[in-house]
Parts: sequence; structure tokens; C-alpha cells
Amino acid sequence: MTAEPIPAGGDPHRMLAHVRHLTRRVRVAQRVTWLPLLVLALVTFAAIPFHRYGTQVLGCTVIPNGQVCEVRNTAAGVYWLVALALSYVAIAYGYLRAARARGLGGRVMPYVVTGIALAVLSSSGLLLIVHEGWGRAIAESPDPPNGLTLFLFRVVEVGSTIGMALLVLAWLERHLALLLFTVGYLAVVLVPLDFGWNAHWGGFTWGFLPTLLVRGGVLLLGGLGFALAQRPWRHR
Amino acid sequence: MSDPLDEPAPATHPATGLDDVVHQRVRLGILTIAHEARRVEFGFLRTQLELTGGNLSQHLGVLESAGLIEVEKGYAGRRARTWVTLTDAGQAALAEEIARLKQLIVRVETADGR
Repeated sequence: MTAEPIPAGGDPHRMLAHVRHLTRRVRVAQRVTWLPLLVLALVTFAAIPFHRYGTQVLGCTVIPNGQVCEVRNTAAGVYWLVALALSYVAIAYGYLRAARARGLGGRVMPYVVTGIALAVLSSSGLLLIVHEGWGRAIAESPDPPNGLTLFLFRVVEVGSTIGMALLVLAWLERHLALLLFTVGYLAVVLVPLDFGWNAHWGGFTWGFLPTLLVRGGVLLLGGLGFALAQRPWRHR
Repeated sequence: MSDPLDEPAPATHPATGLDDVVHQRVRLGILTIAHEARRVEFGFLRTQLELTGGNLSQHLGVLESAGLIEVEKGYAGRRARTWVTLTDAGQAALAEEIARLKQLIVRVETADGR
């Protein structure tokens, strides 16, 4: 045998540094960060027709400041559940295939399981809100909804579940850049900045569009950025 | 087989508990990569550890004989591929080695501080 055991004196630091170095190299080699971001961007853009043409107006009620209409969009709800489940399956397949081509196994399954579980929870939460009529109760209330209520609505939204699953991926990959990107994405999803979009984009007919375009755009730009950043590794 | 009662307790000095099979730079590297990757191909190990194929095979043989890894041969298209997976014993041995290395560092630093 050519390699002999390293004498114990003074070498534990070196051995542990060796372990950490190799661990990091494996994690970097396993990354295909652009894939989930691009897939989820496409899924977000593809949701536009479901949001536009799937909305049904169930009835309107006059309130002091105007009227409140009860709308339901089952098509979009079903779309998101099916599309996200299929996306995560595709992402898992892509990750494992890429890792295998590089001579490695994958570690993406916790991300995929989390993503699907959150998508199911989000859909269940939104169905519960519609079924119990909480959305209409808040809209018909003379007092505007408080910040916490609006925040909780945004947390159970599909955009937040995408972000929370990405946090799991950042942790799995020990990927600081992805963590920072995801925090930025979640800020876009959770912070109520609409620049008056809802008032000027036709309410429930096109009011959803800027939100989806911004979220999809952020994911798309992130995916392209990571694809460019990870490209040199593929040619090494 | 040695009598376990004759073996010094690990707490007295962690260096005495180091396993020669694992406490070796290349083999520790193989176990680390296999642990992190879940499953690793021969070519990736050879590149990352900067070894010749023959040298790597020898180390893999030592680890396989000790029951710390499983080696699986197959094909990807027409290319022959050898995949390495860590066994439960390998996981335990790696965790033990890292724990002992950390203990050694603490002891050395404590001794230096006196």
C-alpha cells in the first residue's frame, strides 16, 4: 500500500480540514440550483391562464365603500397542486440524473418531499379559507384586515410554499447564495407592495398578473444567474 | 480477538481508540465522500483524491474487507462503472473517527493552554 497512516501527532486538524474540504466539494458537485428555479418560474408563468379564465363570480354584496364580490377559482387551485407536484418530481429526476452523470448520488429528496407537502398544505389551507367563508367575512367587515391577517394569508399562499421549500434546498446544499436569493424571493412574496396594481389592473380579472409576473421573473432571473454561475464547474 | 476489558477506555485518551483502517487520509476521504454523496462512482473518487486507479482500488479493497463500504459494478450504456456505498458500519466508523479527531484537538488545545 502506498499511502500510510498519518502519525497522530499534530494531524487531527489536517484530517478534519481534509474531511471538510471533501464534503464541500461533493456538495458543490451535487448542485443543480438553476433547475428548480427555472422549472418553478415556468410553472408560475403557466398559471396565468388558469388565474384569468378560471375565476367564477359567485355573487356580489353592496358595502358602504362599494361592493364585495365572492369569487372562486378552483381551476387555479387544482393547477397549482398538480403543477407543483409534477414540478418537484421533474426536479428530483433532473437532480438525480445530473448527480449520476457526475458520479454521485443525490440529496434532493428532502426538498422534494417538503415542496410537495407544503403544496398540499397550502391547497388545503386555501380550500379551508374558501369553505369557511373567512375571505368574504374579512372583506365584508367594516374594519380593514389587520397586518397579521394579511400576512397569514400570504404565508399559506403558493408563492410562500415555493420559497419555504427553497429554504430547505439551501440548507441541504449548504448554499449561502441560494439562501440569500430565497430570502429576497420570500420578501417579494410576503411584503405587501403592489404599487397600486390591484386598483389599475382590473381587480379579479387581471389583478393577479403583476404578482405572478414579478414572482416568475424573480425565479427566472435567479435560475439564469445560477446557471451562469455554475456553468464553469461543468466544463472543468 | 482481544479482550474488551484489556482495551483502554476511550475517554482516557482518544488516540488509543483510532481505527487504523479509517485513520488514514485516503480511506477517510473515501468514507467522507461516500457519506456525503450517498453513492459515489470510482472516477469521481479517483479525481477528487488524486489517486491512480490501482491505488484507489487497494484502498477500496481494505474498506470493503472491513465491511465499511459496498462496491457495486455495473454499466452506464457501454461504460463500465463502479459505485461505492457506505454501509451502516462505515457510517458508524466515520462518525467515530471524526468524534475522536475532535476529542484529540480539544485535548491538545487544553494541554497547550495549561
